[in-house]
Amino acid sequence: MTIDIPLIAWLERMGPRLSNAFLEGGRWKLYLQGLGVTLELTVVALIFGVLLGLVVAMIRTAHDQQRLGHRNIILGVMNALCNVYTTVIRGTPMLVQLYIWTFVIFPSQRNKVLVGFIGLGVNSGAYVAEIIRGGLMSVDQGQTEAGRSLGLNYFDTMRFIVIPQAFKNILPSLGNEFITLFKDTSLVQAIGGAEMLYYASTIGGRTFDYMPPLIGIAMMYLAIVIIFTWLQGRLERRLRESDRR
Amino acid sequence: MIDVKNLSKSFGSHLVLDNISEHISPGEKVVVIGPSGSGKSTFLRCLNLLETPTKGTITFEGTAITDPKVKIDKIRQQMGMVFQHFNLFPNMTIRKNITLAPVRTGLMSQKEADDTAVSLLQRVGLEDKAEAYPNQLSGGQKQRIAIVRALAMKPKVMLFDEPTSALDPEMVGEVLDVMKELALEGMTMVVVTHEMGFAREVGSRVLFMDGGHILEQNSPKEFFDNPQNPRTQLFLSKVL
Repeated sequence: MTIDIPLIAWLERMGPRLSNAFLEGGRWKLYLQGLGVTLELTVVALIFGVLLGLVVAMIRTAHDQQRLGHRNIILGVMNALCNVYTTVIRGTPMLVQLYIWTFVIFPSQRNKVLVGFIGLGVNSGAYVAEIIRGGLMSVDQGQTEAGRSLGLNYFDTMRFIVIPQAFKNILPSLGNEFITLFKDTSLVQAIGGAEMLYYASTIGGRTFDYMPPLIGIAMMYLAIVIIFTWLQGRLERRLRESDRR
Repeated sequence: MIDVKNLSKSFGSHLVLDNISEHISPGEKVVVIGPSGSGKSTFLRCLNLLETPTKGTITFEGTAITDPKVKIDKIRQQMGMVFQHFNLFPNMTIRKNITLAPVRTGLMSQKEADDTAVSLLQRVGLEDKAEAYPNQLSGGQKQRIAIVRALAMKPKVMLFDEPTSALDPEMVGEVLDVMKELALEGMTMVVVTHEMGFAREVGSRVLFMDGGHILEQNSPKEFFDNPQNPRTQLFLSKVL
């Protein structure tokens, strides 16, 4: 009994705080709204990142696989640009990049979530490019040679032979990139994008009580990451099973 | 058919092929033997430009394929290649492995390619494997499929890069049998191998390579019974 009393007392004090943070004036809707924007930011930035990463990875791989004495100058220039891109993006903090997008490149853009899409997408593209490039290089060189020796051109060889095999190797890292990106969307709060952390800190400020909203969204982030990790594991197991056909 | 002039190839500062000139006529079965690192595989891989020669020219049916302007894909469609490690595409069924190239290069419709695949698979006794995946096959079966895959492009010459070196001993025979049959049909073949029996029985000419040079070449009978070069004699005394 003596143990229960402080707990009950604590719960009694927490009740109003929780209600204030989540129920008062339909505030829970704001969290859901923020979650929607967070997911939107993640998905759009990831799609943008994957497309950008795919192009960069293809350019860099094509450049590396050129035959000696057949160096293509345009490809060389594009490869150099891609190199600068991945180096700069991977070598500077995400928050600094978001600030540069917001205050230097698009200072008059009012829609901060849109700037967030661009900032996160460009950032993610650099990482995804390296993931995809690693995946393409992990496919045995003999596969490319077999394709080319049959007279298939470079793009058909990539499309039918190398990329499908690389996909399986890329998937785990791409899943991790999704998780990283999902959590990094919280940085968009710092440029004024109305995502989950933005609403949580606004509500915290208004109620003078930061603990419930922050713990609340931390649990929401965690729950989604756990669900996603579980889905990813299932998909990978399924793909591995097809190896043992 | 294939004319090689002053071919040299180096990897960095390491010279693998040193000024090789050689001619391969239609219908010939040229067997290339030699110790590891002698450059025989590199020589073979230069013939369809999987390796780019450092110097020299290679002419295939009157086209200088070492010319950078040549559409190498078109040339490779006429040269089949079989690899030591089979290099079947693990993400496709056997049927797809065989029909992908003929269909994508516009040589055949899917229907024609399917029919070709069936008749080729019957020839090597694997018609029941059309819907299987490469991982379900034994090494010997994989290599027979790899030969069929190359043949589906109806090549004018077949290049074999140590086709039996990665096989269990008991599976070597089934692959060599397919190659012998192919030779009997008159296919032009260039074969890099360690199978001396095959060289003697099937080859129309044997090349011995070492240190990036062709040290000796002769008809199989003369080559094995009466080798001239001391290096050849030493090599044969060890392997026979």
